[in-house]
Amino acid sequence: MLDARAILERQYHEMRQRALSLAADFDRIERAAGGADVIAHDARLSELRECLRVAIGTGPERAKRVQEILSDKTPAPV
Amino acid sequence: MHIIDPHIHCVSRTTDDYLYMSRAGVVAVSEPAFWAGFDRSSAGSFYDYFRHLLDVEPKRAARYGIEHFSWLCINAKEAENVELSREVIKLIPPLLDHPRVLGIGEIGLNKNTRNEITIFEEQVDLAARFDQMILIHTPHLLDKHKGTSIICDILKNDSRIKPERVLIDHCEEHTIRLAREHGFWAGLTIYPVTKVTPQRGVDILETFGTDMICVNSASDWGESGPHMLTDTLIEFRRRGHSEDEATRVFHDNPARFFGQCPKWTIKPRLKP
Repeated sequence: MLDARAILERQYHEMRQRALSLAADFDRIERAAGGADVIAHDARLSELRECLRVAIGTGPERAKRVQEILSDKTPAPV
Repeated sequence: MHIIDPHIHCVSRTTDDYLYMSRAGVVAVSEPAFWAGFDRSSAGSFYDYFRHLLDVEPKRAARYGIEHFSWLCINAKEAENVELSREVIKLIPPLLDHPRVLGIGEIGLNKNTRNEITIFEEQVDLAARFDQMILIHTPHLLDKHKGTSIICDILKNDSRIKPERVLIDHCEEHTIRLAREHGFWAGLTIYPVTKVTPQRGVDILETFGTDMICVNSASDWGESGPHMLTDTLIEFRRRGHSEDEATRVFHDNPARFFGQCPKWTIKPRLKP
């Protein structure tokens, strides 16, 4: 098994790339017509912001918690 | 559509890549001299490498209907060895009249060291003395912004250098202004993970305008490929840009930059 330092070494550039890509995604939306409104009010982007807070925060099972944020939370049909 | 890959390292690519490029409409490529993935042991290795660039690759490319041109230099990484660099630089002047040489490149910086700067300045001087165009390599990742600033300062402080005959390559969101505010051409390298994605490449074209920008794949021995250029073209078209606009970016811009060298034969397809 690789140790933590080795895993970071192997994956850092991809992590960096993902951070840049996401920043560019937000820029692209904001730049387009109606962008400011979508950036401010779209519920999916609010969820993504929450996901990012989980991803960079502390505690275990970050991926599971991100999946839960992105899951349908409405009650099942009766 | 006809397109040009203005920066690709064909010596590191397979024949399948030439076939792919031919099918995708690539009519010409330019190949700067670069780091082969290992440090070479003598100037003789560079002499053979230059022969490969000038005599072998044009023939490989021609089998697929692709025009192949090159740039000569010692790259920024091996420039750390000043003694070897000066031996390599001496090899270059007799080759500059070769019909496939467009100029001096890709010169620049790698880790922004004093030795790299010394050899960069000597190669800028070489280009100035022999009236050659220049293709610039800017550093990777965390060294890019600082290195691009140093490079632009050196170039703009040399009154012999005409900015429109210099292309600052591997520009990204935080460095493209540096290149363009001084009147240099800018290169966007679409390269997985460590440079620009097709989506971000098109973002940059949309944000900064398409004048004096050349998009390239810089395909080499790493995880890369000529498809990165065509993926960017597809992304550009998917966002609603016309075929004429795409032709201006992916064919005519490199044709105009390279066309400043009389050896370059491919004309822009559209009027400016």
